Amino acid sequence: MTGRVTPLALSVLTVAAWALALAVLLARAELLLVALPAVVALGALPRRAAPPACTVLHRVSADRLFEGDAVTVTVSVQARAAVPLVELLGPRPAGAQVRAGRHRAVMTLRAGQAVEWRYDLVFPRRGVHDVGAVAVRLRDRLGLRAWEWRQLAPLTLRVFPRPMALRTLPRPAHARASGGDHLSRVLGEGIEPGDVREFAPGDRIRHVNWRASLRLGRLYVTQRHRERNADVVLMLDTLAEVGAPPETTLDLGVRAAVSLATAYLGRRDRVGLVTYGGVMTWVRPGSGAVQYERLADGLLRAEVVFTYVAKDLARVPARVLSPQALVIAITPLLDPRFAGAVADLAARGFDVVVLLVSPVAVTRALVDGGSVEALATRLWALERRADLAALQRQGVAVIDWQPPEPLEAALARARWRRVRLASAG
Amino acid sequence: MAARAPGERGVSRALAVAAVLGALALVRLATAVPAVLQAALVGVALAALAIAMGWRWAASAAAVVLLVAYAAALCIEDRRLAVEPALAFGLTLVLLLGAVDLIARTRGAHLVGPVVAATLGRWLALVGGTVAAALVALALAGGLAVALPSTVAPLLAAAGALAGIWVLAALIRRAGAGGGSAR
Repeated sequence: MTGRVTPLALSVLTVAAWALALAVLLARAELLLVALPAVVALGALPRRAAPPACTVLHRVSADRLFEGDAVTVTVSVQARAAVPLVELLGPRPAGAQVRAGRHRAVMTLRAGQAVEWRYDLVFPRRGVHDVGAVAVRLRDRLGLRAWEWRQLAPLTLRVFPRPMALRTLPRPAHARASGGDHLSRVLGEGIEPGDVREFAPGDRIRHVNWRASLRLGRLYVTQRHRERNADVVLMLDTLAEVGAPPETTLDLGVRAAVSLATAYLGRRDRVGLVTYGGVMTWVRPGSGAVQYERLADGLLRAEVVFTYVAKDLARVPARVLSPQALVIAITPLLDPRFAGAVADLAARGFDVVVLLVSPVAVTRALVDGGSVEALATRLWALERRADLAALQRQGVAVIDWQPPEPLEAALARARWRRVRLASAG
Repeated sequence: MAARAPGERGVSRALAVAAVLGALALVRLATAVPAVLQAALVGVALAALAIAMGWRWAASAAAVVLLVAYAAALCIEDRRLAVEPALAFGLTLVLLLGAVDLIARTRGAHLVGPVVAATLGRWLALVGGTVAAALVALALAGGLAVALPSTVAPLLAAAGALAGIWVLAALIRRAGAGGGSAR
């Protein structure tokens, strides 16, 4: 706790000093009397007053939420003795907006009085936020002296990107041996009918195709395609971004990544993550709810870190970026190093799909609609079209997403070459 | 607990306005010289800025300008010592500073309890202390005026004023030994 003199005390001292000086210079006793109230007020300062005692606690209604959700911060103050004036500044992390109430409070409390004060914060952007500090300032009776401290509590808020519902997804070219929702070329146990063949000893009666059997006079069984899962690796470009938070190309890319992860995990696929930027991080492919947590945690921390160094994807372990995996590269293609990495993957035989988050559309939303800006964005769009064509010539499938159109619309527009998986079993 | 912000803030603004108008009225009572009144009006304008924006520096400047105008009025008119108007003028200046400080503190804040009323009540309680101190000071001054030779009185007054300012500054420095100053 730090004890300080407030600016009010300095103002009062200024007035007293001016009055005393003028009284002497002008030889007017009235000015001594003018100084008297200020002197009396300041005379209370030398009393060694203990700071008024009060306890401050705070809590938040949730520690995990999605972008755009609100959280209620509740601050409780318990006065052990009378508190003339206490100022409280509640936590409001950068980027958060106060939706209801106020995050600053001023209170006068009686001895033993307990007060609760609440306000709502909205987080429009993903991230990990510290909401563990309340700044407290107690003031003495006349407000000439203050005591300050920070009430700390280990409270952290994790704001996750909100996933969009996706029905159409890029199909992986290769499957794993485990069961999933993707149709395999190999026939076996499954739901999707594949072929009809003559009955053989050992076939199960429930597989008999009665319609074909009756027509042909012999027993026939229906064979089905196996349903397998696949490895999907989301590769997020964190080399550069454009736009204003919370709608930068990286924000949009993160939302696309979490949506794709949710959809693939829902189909029992294994999903991994590689963030490719100044700092390269990765999450091994996995499935289930725990994997979603890992991916979301990696995505909500994704930030652009500038670097001059072109990162080598060979540093990523093979168990993260396996040759059988479908790699979905999510990028605005602002940095040619990312395009180079994608081309490198395609050349090494990886199954690569580029989800292009259009920076032109994001930038156009920020600039004026003047003729020069319109011409510039058209030229930029043409350049990007040429870049896309170059990628497609290298055998990379490209999905061009023009926010604010829904991601689902961009995915549905894309044409998928692969219908059946080259199965591992 | 519901916030009572608009009413409470209105009270502190009204009190600040009353303090400024009181100071202006006391300057006008002291003199009718247009130049002095114009200087006082500059102080009123600064005070209005302080009340509207919650700027403490403007309140301090307004108090000093009004004080200089009042001192000029006293010098120009050169009347006999009037205790009550001088005390009232000092109180209005201190009240103006306190009210503007409160406006700044409560701006954009959620108020719990009778914040403004309690704070202003404490400042008004200062009136009692001031009157008591004035009575003591006047009694002492009466005795000293007889005892002191007129040749050393100006020197003693100057030394006393300097000592007074030094003591007040030392008090503030001691109270703020924690370093820096609060917002």
